[in-house]
Amino acid sequence: MNTAAVSELHPQLDEVDHRIIALLREDGRMPFRALAKELGLTETTVRGRVRRLEESNTMRVVAVTDIEAAGYNLLLAVGVQVENRTPESVARELAAIPEVFSVNVVVGTHDIEALVVAENQAALHQLLSDRLAALPGVRRLTPSLAVNVLKNQPDWVPL
Amino acid sequence: MSRRRLDEVDRAIVERLSRDARVSNRQIAAELGVTEGTVRSRVKRMEEEKLIRITAVTNIDRFRDASLAYIWIEVERSHQVSEVASQLAEIPELGFVGEMLGRSDLLAITMVRNNEHLAEFVHGHISCIPGVRRTESTLGVNFVKHDYRMARIVR
Repeated sequence: MNTAAVSELHPQLDEVDHRIIALLREDGRMPFRALAKELGLTETTVRGRVRRLEESNTMRVVAVTDIEAAGYNLLLAVGVQVENRTPESVARELAAIPEVFSVNVVVGTHDIEALVVAENQAALHQLLSDRLAALPGVRRLTPSLAVNVLKNQPDWVPL
Repeated sequence: MSRRRLDEVDRAIVERLSRDARVSNRQIAAELGVTEGTVRSRVKRMEEEKLIRITAVTNIDRFRDASLAYIWIEVERSHQVSEVASQLAEIPELGFVGEMLGRSDLLAITMVRNNEHLAEFVHGHISCIPGVRRTESTLGVNFVKHDYRMARIVR
């Protein structure tokens, strides 16, 4: 997402904050000294800024692991239709399953959009039929397999 | 294109970095009982092999009126899928682009302010790509979970 669009959505952060976030998105391990040099600020100022962004729960610098390197060969988007329960309560139960790594209550054909991973076909079958379909309130699952992911940058997430 | 799997030491380092990647190599080394050189070289290697990516993530709850939109895209002819996919991957606003089997041909995910913004984005950036037949969009209203420690590392 471009910086202008982000600034518009995020009025509490100033230009320096946005530049720090942009640099750390590129290289999360960039030393404070290098950040300071890049921004034309002192190292103390930059440390303070980064700490404030972290402590206000606005930004975190983290290691993201490739799902295949973590042992998961399959990535799917699963639409979930819910009955006799609120989508929020079903979504919270889905969120407790580690292989379900993203859960969003949505408006549209489905009530929930989830992203799930599985080691192989047998594990996928077990996840879908024994765990997801068996959850109370789940009416129908509509899975879709990602066969080629060209881009996946989880830059904005609920922290 | 199968990638190397992480071993036990790699996993321990990554686990520490997935909580806070600004921690020093020295600190990780002390906690795991390995040398600082081991930590440094393993982090470097995992990054080079695209097994991990160390990056800043920002809290979507801190954004005013922001929702994720799931845009499902169908192409005119099946052979156009990869061409449309590469064009989608060039759009900076998209955080996810995947060729899919099942519900539709492609899935693109972006962040929007509201339904109006979503419609404007789809019409302005996606429907106009040659080969796009139809799109179906879903707007998120409550982002319950996203485990940012997992992603398909592409670039």
